[in-house]
Amino acid sequence: MRSKELNSHSLSRRAFLARTGAGVAGALLGPGVLLESCGPAGSRLEHIKGGLRGANHRVGHLVRHPEQLPPPSRELQTGVLIIGGGVAGLTARRELARHGRSDVLLLELENHPGGNAASGRNTVSAYPWGAHYLPIPDVRNRELLDFLRESGVITGYDKVSGLPVYNEYHLCHDPEERLLINGHWQAGLVPETGVPAAERTQIARFFRLVEELKQARGTDGREAFTIPLDQSSRDEQFRQLDQLSFADYLTREGFTSSHLRWYLDYGCRDDYGATLEQVSAWAGLHYFAARKGRAHNAGSSDVLTWPEGNGFLVEQLRRQASSPILTETVACRLHETPTGVEVLAYDAARQQTIRIQARQVVLAVPQFVAHQLLTEVAGVVQPSQPLHHAPWLIANLTVTQLPQGPGQPLCWDNVGYGGASVGYVNASHQSLSLSADGSKVMTLYWPLCHEVPAAARRQAYQKTYAEWLPQIMAEMERLHPGLTPYVQRVEAWVWGHGMVAPTPGYLWGPDRTQLARPLRQRLFFAHTDYSGMSIFEEAFYQGIRAAREVLGQAAV
Amino acid sequence: MGNPEAETPDLPAAQLTGPTARETQSVLLLGSVFIIATCGLIYELIAGTLASYLLGDSVTQFSTIIGAYLFSMGVGSWFSRYLSQPLLKWFIRLEILVGLVGGFSAPLLFVLFEYVTSFRLILYALVGLTGILVGLEIPLLMRILENRFEFKDLVSRVFTFDYIGALLASLIFPLVLVPQLGLMRTSLLFGALNVVVAAVALYRFQETRPYRRGFAGLMALSLLALGGTFAYAGRIQRYTETLAFQDQVIYSKSTLYQRIVLTKNQRELRLFLNGNLQFSSQDEYRYHEALVHPAMQALPQARRVLVLGGGDGLAVRELLKYPQLQQIRLVDLDPGMTELFRSNALLTRLNQRAFFSPKVQVINGDAYQWVRQDTTRYDCLIVDFPDPGNYSIGKLYSAAFYQELHRLLKPGGRIVVQSTSPYVARQSFWCIVHTLRAAGFHTIPYHCYVPSFGEWGYVMAGQNAHWRPNAGPLPRGLRYVTPTTIRQMLDFPPDMAEIPTEINQLNNQALVRYFEEDWGPYAQ
Repeated sequence: MRSKELNSHSLSRRAFLARTGAGVAGALLGPGVLLESCGPAGSRLEHIKGGLRGANHRVGHLVRHPEQLPPPSRELQTGVLIIGGGVAGLTARRELARHGRSDVLLLELENHPGGNAASGRNTVSAYPWGAHYLPIPDVRNRELLDFLRESGVITGYDKVSGLPVYNEYHLCHDPEERLLINGHWQAGLVPETGVPAAERTQIARFFRLVEELKQARGTDGREAFTIPLDQSSRDEQFRQLDQLSFADYLTREGFTSSHLRWYLDYGCRDDYGATLEQVSAWAGLHYFAARKGRAHNAGSSDVLTWPEGNGFLVEQLRRQASSPILTETVACRLHETPTGVEVLAYDAARQQTIRIQARQVVLAVPQFVAHQLLTEVAGVVQPSQPLHHAPWLIANLTVTQLPQGPGQPLCWDNVGYGGASVGYVNASHQSLSLSADGSKVMTLYWPLCHEVPAAARRQAYQKTYAEWLPQIMAEMERLHPGLTPYVQRVEAWVWGHGMVAPTPGYLWGPDRTQLARPLRQRLFFAHTDYSGMSIFEEAFYQGIRAAREVLGQAAV
Repeated sequence: MGNPEAETPDLPAAQLTGPTARETQSVLLLGSVFIIATCGLIYELIAGTLASYLLGDSVTQFSTIIGAYLFSMGVGSWFSRYLSQPLLKWFIRLEILVGLVGGFSAPLLFVLFEYVTSFRLILYALVGLTGILVGLEIPLLMRILENRFEFKDLVSRVFTFDYIGALLASLIFPLVLVPQLGLMRTSLLFGALNVVVAAVALYRFQETRPYRRGFAGLMALSLLALGGTFAYAGRIQRYTETLAFQDQVIYSKSTLYQRIVLTKNQRELRLFLNGNLQFSSQDEYRYHEALVHPAMQALPQARRVLVLGGGDGLAVRELLKYPQLQQIRLVDLDPGMTELFRSNALLTRLNQRAFFSPKVQVINGDAYQWVRQDTTRYDCLIVDFPDPGNYSIGKLYSAAFYQELHRLLKPGGRIVVQSTSPYVARQSFWCIVHTLRAAGFHTIPYHCYVPSFGEWGYVMAGQNAHWRPNAGPLPRGLRYVTPTTIRQMLDFPPDMAEIPTEINQLNNQALVRYFEEDWGPYAQ
């Protein structure tokens, strides 16, 4: 999953199904516990330890059943309540702090904020559980640049060019990407090894098109593709590309090369958790044509990354404001009052219900969760059709060694041509050690987009660790034959609503802006669901937009 | 012998009346004495050579191997009394066994050296076993021949052939076999010869008929195994790498981090890390004097120096020539390396026991991790890493790394970076210069000629440009660096002159790519 943000509150239907008839007690126990298990006894995988994780299902489930809450035993008052501690929520909190607002409280379901930029750590390395990088941003994205400067990711600006100078330790070290194709690891992800000349010509034509689109401007003078995407041109010649699928667009434009289409499909799965057929052409092209970042010491295709992935940025966001964060606390129901909003929340650690009085509330949660919370609030807009959220599987493998195939040595991003997953990232890539201990953590990203999201989600929730493990290992063995004996641990995480996909019509149709519109200057919405693309920059933008709406200022 | 033929007493008569089958057999048996004697000594020489290759200290190794081998032969001779009829069958059995044990001794020892902890135990066990088997041969043959010759003739002939065989072995081993075939193939070839002796005996003696078939199969298998290994000896050698060196290997060991090989000939010691020459004792003084003195002569007030890499202690040896230094801290990744240069007598002579100086602190750790957490300020930093041949080492030549060094340097201090060959790897060399500049340093590139390396480059870097080639006194007794040579080192003729390059950054690793381009043609 390239720079993508997964949704911060993935509610588990499995937990819901499992709980039906199991009584309320189980739901109120607190955060989900990782059960340690190992591979099937007597199999080749028996030595592998690990377990299956997921978002805090049992607590999150209370959103659907607020009637099961115990009576409130605490009262809190705040100016602004932010529900959801993912990137959008944390950014809104930071933005409010920057404007001197200290009467802010943030509720986070998990025991640590971060949402889908969650991360873990073991004795070998820190590693991501979701979003794990940020491309070099566009220099016009001042808010983002200022945040990176404050975080020490940008160390200064070059005196001559004025371009940002990035901290080299945060720039993804070379070599960055490799692709296993025809039994050989090639450098870079665009297929080259063994690709016929005619297909190469098409691939070159596609990238020329991308270069044109990067420069393209609409009749309104705006650029065709930008990040944040709200600043893109409104010109119909570009917006109409949102009406058809990327696959149809490619066919129409004569891009038939199977290698090119694999690569673009890989890009869509990696960035949107959806296939060429499922996302709009505008979104598919945006992935390539909106990358216009510039830096003094890096190029537009360079990325920033950390062993813990975007968990690094989450920690920076958290530190750059001091207003309180209540973790393991889930908002369950909202009511409007004459002076603001009353929120019933459940504190899973103390097992008590809190009544919170807020003048304003920012819902930094997925659209479907916001909708659930606002059941009793008037004027909430319904989408004309449900948003497309693909489930994801993330697996972190701790290995003592990595049997290497021929070609390019281990890179940061390692992808297999034609694979079901979108490859793995070496979490230890940014290490500066020459130490001979070859232990590494590798993070495998797997969008479950082979079926419609609801069915794929149901299947994913029903699978046990013992069922996931052989599937994960088969995928890894395809990339590294003979790897199994060197694998010590495999931890898996199922994200039920991994990320929103920009299906045709969603980005530039009426739904997206209507859903994000504040209600009565009391209820505000901040989430990448309202961008239609789950990337850090959009989450950051949504957070700032919502904060400025709260402050009564114009949007970014 | 059990058959009636062997008991015919009339040997001299048979000799007078011309060659008979029986006489041919006697000649064959005496020929066998010659061959097995040669083989026996070859195995001994192989074990001795191998032990001194792998374990070093050739005098001790040869003495103990010869002693152990001769003693084991004695044990074998003593055991020969327990072998009873049919003796010829025992002899054939024995030859096959000697052929296999002796023949596979060298390949086995080479491979096992890598994998076993108590290599000596295996070595002496194998020497003992070979010795016992070889010790059985001559007594057994004498008993086979006892009825064919008079005792005085028997003793005289058997020992004559035995000693001639020994002479031959001792001459062809160093002059022909080791240079032409190498230890592994020599050992396999003589193993095969032992099996051939057994084969000849099997076919020339009628009494072997009843068991010919079984033995023939066994011999064919043995020859096949020896021949097959002979054919793959090159691959095994490459695998063990130990014989990939021109000179005698006096030490070789794979540590956690690298493979260290030390070779020796009459003139010099050479150190190889992963097959790359690190120094020759013949001219390393040029390399290390040029590495240390141009910077140090300009720092008469220097108190503290940090050496990164340089686990051989040779740069430290040069630094110790400056009495004003109070602390020399060396950070080298590989404890196997620093330990070798602390313990091996030849090497401590070379580095003048540098690691035993109370001023010297040796730290085994990652240089990058070290500089990121070090808070000491140094007058001089000597950066003596391996060439940037892979992405991990390339990070130690990055602008980010040099920025860390910038922080560790006292105002007015100097850094010196060994920077590969500006002649062979011109792009790489200037890339290092430009990367140091990008990290905010004033740079002074220079180079010198080191015969075993060729033209070699260094970059001196500091926060200011105040450096002069004759700023302070040089230590006495230097063999290469003088104020004049320092001035000469600064001059770059057109074939090594500055060319534009990228800056080596962690996110482009430009240097590793240049290095591959520059050295690639030389690697083929």
